[in-house]
Amino acid sequence: MPEASQQLFNYLIVGGLVFALGMIGFIARRNLIVMFLCAEMMLQGVSISLVGWGRYHDRLGGQMLVLFMIAVAACEAGIALALIVMLYQKSGKLDVAFWQGVREEGRAAFVDRNVPIEREQEDHWPRLTPAGIEPTLDEEAPLHRSRV
Amino acid sequence: MFAIEKLILWIPALPLLAALITALLGPKFLRSTCHIPAIIGIGASFLFSLLLLTEVRREQYAAPAGGFERIVPVWTWANLDGAYEFAEGAQPPHSVPLRIDVVMRIDALTSMMLCMVTFVATLVAIFAAGYMHGDRGYWRFFSYVSLFVFSMTMLVSVSNFVLLFVFWEAVGVCSYLLIGFWYEKPEAAAAGKKAFLVNRVGDFGFALALFLIWTTYGTLDFHDRGDPASGVSDSADVAAVDTVSGSPSVVARVAAPPVVGGVAAPGARSETVGVLGKSRIASGGYVGGALGFAICALLLLGACGKSAQFPLHVWLPDAMEGPTPVSALIHAATMVTAGVYMVARCTPLFMASPDAQVLVSCVGGFTALLAGLIALTQWDLKRVLAYSTVSQLGFMFLGLGTGTLAGITAGMFHLFTHAFFKAVLFLGAGSVMHAMGNVIDMRRFGGLRRIMPITYGTFLIGSLALAGVPPLAGFWSKDAVLGAVHDKLHAYEHQFELRQAQGGPVSSEMTEPGHSPMGGLGALTDGQLMCGIQAYGWLYYAATLTAFLTAFYTFRAFLLTFHGAERVPHEAHGHAHESPASMTFPLMVLAAAACVVGLFFDQTYNSSLPSGQRHSFAAFLASAPQLAAGLVGQTPALDAFHLSVAASSVLVAMAGIGLAMYLYLGDTREVRVLASLFNLDGFVQALDVRRVFAWRWVLALDGAARRAGLGSVVTALGYLLGGVLIIVSAPLLVGMYLSPYRLSQRKFYFDELYDWAIVRPLRGVSALLASADRWLIDSLVNLLGAVPAAAGAVLRRLQSGLVPFYALAMLLAILLLLASQL
Repeated sequence: MPEASQQLFNYLIVGGLVFALGMIGFIARRNLIVMFLCAEMMLQGVSISLVGWGRYHDRLGGQMLVLFMIAVAACEAGIALALIVMLYQKSGKLDVAFWQGVREEGRAAFVDRNVPIEREQEDHWPRLTPAGIEPTLDEEAPLHRSRV
Repeated sequence: MFAIEKLILWIPALPLLAALITALLGPKFLRSTCHIPAIIGIGASFLFSLLLLTEVRREQYAAPAGGFERIVPVWTWANLDGAYEFAEGAQPPHSVPLRIDVVMRIDALTSMMLCMVTFVATLVAIFAAGYMHGDRGYWRFFSYVSLFVFSMTMLVSVSNFVLLFVFWEAVGVCSYLLIGFWYEKPEAAAAGKKAFLVNRVGDFGFALALFLIWTTYGTLDFHDRGDPASGVSDSADVAAVDTVSGSPSVVARVAAPPVVGGVAAPGARSETVGVLGKSRIASGGYVGGALGFAICALLLLGACGKSAQFPLHVWLPDAMEGPTPVSALIHAATMVTAGVYMVARCTPLFMASPDAQVLVSCVGGFTALLAGLIALTQWDLKRVLAYSTVSQLGFMFLGLGTGTLAGITAGMFHLFTHAFFKAVLFLGAGSVMHAMGNVIDMRRFGGLRRIMPITYGTFLIGSLALAGVPPLAGFWSKDAVLGAVHDKLHAYEHQFELRQAQGGPVSSEMTEPGHSPMGGLGALTDGQLMCGIQAYGWLYYAATLTAFLTAFYTFRAFLLTFHGAERVPHEAHGHAHESPASMTFPLMVLAAAACVVGLFFDQTYNSSLPSGQRHSFAAFLASAPQLAAGLVGQTPALDAFHLSVAASSVLVAMAGIGLAMYLYLGDTREVRVLASLFNLDGFVQALDVRRVFAWRWVLALDGAARRAGLGSVVTALGYLLGGVLIIVSAPLLVGMYLSPYRLSQRKFYFDELYDWAIVRPLRGVSALLASADRWLIDSLVNLLGAVPAAAGAVLRRLQSGLVPFYALAMLLAILLLLASQL
């Protein structure tokens, strides 16, 4: 295998791994912030492969595209995190399963029956900005984990 | 001087403008003054029509032979090149363009009709201002009436068959709207629908006639296109079509290459020759035979629909559900005469087919008699007048069908005079209705002559005119029609005697001079001649009988309404009174007109006048090109005054009036005797088996016989008797339902007949089709619609709303896509 191909191969392996990790995380985790981080990770996996291709072709198009992607991803991160904060302020929940409103009308909501028992001493809340109001926990329906 | 080309445009434009103003401003701003634009518009239109008439009279003296006409093109509606291919036998084969021009024409017939229509319409509009006062649809009424006047004036002044058809339909729509004016009333809505549907049958015939004219003559214009003033004779282009062997292949020669002057453009050949144009009339290029008869018969069917003639007469009496001014204007004076106008306008076509003329006369004469018989026993004042209208329209057709100039002008003259006296009668009936709280049944009121003196007087004049009492209008025109039929019969008999003497058909030179071969009697076969003698003979006597019936039923209605003991229905709320001036003024004007128009226009009795001026109306009409150019038989002369016919018709009218006065003045016992006689009451009673066989007596006999052991004999006798009873009761049923009185009272069961023969089968078929549509077609469509719904019901279960689920679905789908690429 020639040198350049070998190098591209390494890049693609790393990029693919990062992408796969992100994807698995996105599907497996339910915390909104973690899901967002996973999505970013998938993006970075793609970026790595782009950089690799750029080097392989000895052109800087890939690298340039990655720079754009980082900029766009930063904007996107700002918006997404702001949305997540808003959602948290509304409901006090970060569990993605809490927002099932787009399901078919009349269909029963998904209820997670396997809620792990939480330890008492761990119930400290994420520190938000001073303007945030500390949400009260919905004691009646502990269907969603307060921390994921 | 006035440009008549401008006048002819203003005459229809003013009522149209009035209709638009009333329709747009009426409900919001004009409210109870809606009649003002209508009266001004129609009145001005009448003045313009009078101007037009005088101008036409002036111009026609200077007109060349062939009559006076002026063509006013407005715009071209449609122009399709090569719309129709004259393939067979054309030399060379060529196609003609379908060109529809919006073209107005000015001639004697048009100006006469315009004057009559706008005059009656003006007076009716004034009358309606009083009659319709306070009605919720006041603006609607005047808008419709103005629209009708626009349509009617256009109908009589367009110069194209397509436009004639368009405005033919437009007046039909106005009639429909006005019959159903009080649409909350179910009878009115049903009557409007009936009028519309019955007219569709006629219009179907009319449309077919237009198609035939198009395929036969290759144009639908009346006039010759091109410069009418240049007097270019296109007769070289027009093949003289043999009327006997007329066929489309012969007509196709119309399109022979242009030979005139050598400067004629290649496109300007046959299209300049109109169907009823002067050059075609001059050259006699009309198709006879079966094709000509078919065209005429279909035109007649259209005229029958609009003018309520025999097979299609059923709608007019029901149309009386509309407001009374509408009955006077549309269903007595103007719209129903559109059929008469159309047949008169198409005279050249009818001249080519003597059989069609006999048919026109027969339809007219039969309808006149039928409607006269029905009118004898009706109790509804307006319905009597409606049947009288049908009957008089029959008279007009009878006159037109004679095919002589005297007969056609007599028919048109009857149309003219009838408009006045029938409008008087209808408006008088409206005045009575107005006073009686909308009661129109003559059994419920009577002796109104003291309460309503003006209505009484004008109604009397109208009745006398309708009955045909000299010197009122109806006498002159009815006498002219009768005289024309009489002369026609005489001419046929004379021709027949000539042939008998010669032992074979007489050549056309033997006939009177002035006849073209088409109009002459020489072209007739012996069979046609015999048939004509039979038909006109019967028609003359039927018409005389109808004149008697007319006098009788008119005075029956008149006497029942205005004479006898004074009776007022309670709907009048005790203050029955003479109508306001806006209603009596038109009555008086129309009554005055009904008095003088006959005497003024028809002075055939006055031998001191020079010949040709005695019947000024007919002489004026005879300048219309369709009646002028030697096509129509000129004998007998227009000036002829038929003393014997006049005497007999006056005698008959007097007999009718006398009989009505004898029966309905004072004691009406004789009426009841007559009614029961014509109802075959005695016959029915004599056959009433219940009286012959008192059941008690029969049962007693039966019991005695059975006790004596003769049971089987009694049973056999019973069956025998039963059979006899069935045979006996058949005439009994006939007596009960088909007695002359019943037939007349129930309008010869035409409504029932049409209901069972046409309406119910059609309803059944449409109900069947509707259910097929509902159950078969609809369920198929619904089935198709259920497929996506079912698919959705399955897929709906996937919509969990869980983000990880969607993410997983995306991942799996992408993997699937990738796998499919491998």
